[in-house]
Amino acid sequence: MKVEKILQVKDLNISFHTFSGEVKAIRGVSFDLFKGETLAIVGESGSGKSVTTKSIMRLLPEHNSEIKSGEILFNGKDLTKLKDKEMQKIRGHDISMIFQDPMTSLNPTMKIGNQIMEPLIKHQNMSRHAAKERTLDLLKLVGIPKPEIRINQYPHQFSGGMRQRVVIAIALACNPQILIADEPTTALDVTIQAQILELMKDLQKKIDTSIIFITHDLGVVANVADRVAVMYGGKIVEIGTADEIFYNPQHPYTWGLISSMPDMDTDDEELFSIPGTPPDLLDPPKGDAFAARNPFVMKIDLELEPPFFKVSDTHYAATWLLHPDAPKVEPPDAVKRRQNQFNGLTGVSVGTASLEKGSQSQFPGIKEGK
Amino acid sequence: MAERKKLLEIKNLKQYFNEGKLNEVKAVDTVSFDIYKGEVMGLVGESGCGKSTTGRTIIRLYDATGGEVIYDGVNVHGKKSKKQLKEFNRKMQMIFQDPYASLNPRLKIADVIAEGIDIHGLAKSKEERMEQVYELLETVGLNKEHATRYPHEFSGGQRQRIGIARALAVQPEFIIADEPISALDVSIQAQVVNLMKKLQKEKDLTYLFIAHDLSMVKYISDRIGVMYFGKMVELAPADELYRNPLHPYTQSLLSAIPAPDPISERSRRRKSYDPASHNYGGNESIEFREVTPGHFVLCSEKEFNQYKAQSNH
Repeated sequence: MKVEKILQVKDLNISFHTFSGEVKAIRGVSFDLFKGETLAIVGESGSGKSVTTKSIMRLLPEHNSEIKSGEILFNGKDLTKLKDKEMQKIRGHDISMIFQDPMTSLNPTMKIGNQIMEPLIKHQNMSRHAAKERTLDLLKLVGIPKPEIRINQYPHQFSGGMRQRVVIAIALACNPQILIADEPTTALDVTIQAQILELMKDLQKKIDTSIIFITHDLGVVANVADRVAVMYGGKIVEIGTADEIFYNPQHPYTWGLISSMPDMDTDDEELFSIPGTPPDLLDPPKGDAFAARNPFVMKIDLELEPPFFKVSDTHYAATWLLHPDAPKVEPPDAVKRRQNQFNGLTGVSVGTASLEKGSQSQFPGIKEGK
Repeated sequence: MAERKKLLEIKNLKQYFNEGKLNEVKAVDTVSFDIYKGEVMGLVGESGCGKSTTGRTIIRLYDATGGEVIYDGVNVHGKKSKKQLKEFNRKMQMIFQDPYASLNPRLKIADVIAEGIDIHGLAKSKEERMEQVYELLETVGLNKEHATRYPHEFSGGQRQRIGIARALAVQPEFIIADEPISALDVSIQAQVVNLMKKLQKEKDLTYLFIAHDLSMVKYISDRIGVMYFGKMVELAPADELYRNPLHPYTQSLLSAIPAPDPISERSRRRKSYDPASHNYGGNESIEFREVTPGHFVLCSEKEFNQYKAQSNH
């Protein structure tokens, strides 16, 4: 396992002040990012995945957002406390970001070449000439044909996929240590998406950068991620390696996410769906935020927030179901299929704990927790 | 398959924009297919391939440049009186992609849903009208109290349910769903798809389901058509298309969908499609040919024989 932690987020709490009151968007998020890995953050809109990463880049609007508490440690520095000037040196140099929509994240009035040269000249004090050389290299690196011509063109002369390549070239210009990709392929077609994902993985190998990848597409996660953090209601509810999350998920929300996607084997049976809608973070529910949508809800879920339970050294989940006194419940069929498939494929038994659970009770229902 | 009733026949449908000008776009270029009563026909392809335009031309949001859309024996695009058109509009309804843009923000939900009921005079009294609205709300999993609210008070998933209720209000037979779940979160997508499937069974509806999310399309569709640059390149029963994709574009499209499965993702091999790879000669006729029963591919005579040989194994 990679040991060197490049970024540590510790107990982050962020609120937005709106006319209707204080929206507690991030409620105690902690995670580490290791060197050279890809950490995917998944969750539905409003779960806080974009707010978390924007706070790392310090891109939250100043007039209504507030980091209530917590630390974001990068190279020993707490990013939440840096002055704007100091942050500017890090942004685009050590940490850079790829946004969702390549149509709006480029300046339409600037030539592509100048947009890529900007960080090189600003951060690395390159001469225009050297920056131009490097820009040509970058364009080649991200697979844009005829860079000598393209460098003098404007964004509207590029297709969506090509524009996203330009955005990636800008983000990579200074060989950042951390690359944050916020739904970089959501606006693209599947065939283009596949190309961009391959490109990102390729580049990661070449320059050994760490990537935080935000998406709600579990297929994309399976394709790129080393580790996965699942967010719900402003918190991380489960975190583990990609295999652990996909083949041995523990949190009922992760179960729901995984089984609500049809795979190629899903036939006519009804799709598993998570009932209800995400919680209102203006007034976050007491106890477990997922309780209202959880088919396995227990009394304690409504009273107390679950702590993280350790499943393995790399795998943690915040659900009372993992408490030794909790009733044993049966995960949805799709999840059980995955566990079996994984056991069969590797010969290594993952999640024996939850398989044992499954064999004991068929009736999850509403039961007392403690 | 033969004894099933054709509800809709699309014959050589063409939809050109800027016709005759330099920037002419052949958005839909000679597309033909049938939709049988009670089936779900899926239409997939990347953005700009003409799948939405096909849907919109079928329902006559655009006037076709050429070709015919025959619904229940009647040509939709023929000259028609207002009365005939109105009757046709009742039978065919549409659910749109963006649940935020497709509901009038100034209308209460009851009026959004009842607009069709009013236009077609399907309710005799105010009470009956509201009765129908309440029933529709219940059908799509909302409740009575929602009738007096405005669209902005609802989440994306709820709005899409309202869009479905509105389409159902006039008791249609055929619904075109243009990317109905693309704008929704994963956990909500399953809710809406389940609802659409349930309604289809209960009300014996026929769907044309347009989407780029191939796993959802496979799940909901009986047959799937693949479009590429305005042409339909392959059409087959859903399972057959995934098991035995013949056209190289379909193969490339299928190989590009990431599956929520890290083990298979690690060994994924992506195929890319180059239209030049067909190497068609000038005098070869490229037609939509039936390779195995119900499985059509756009191909030349030579390719047709190859595909046939391939499929007989």
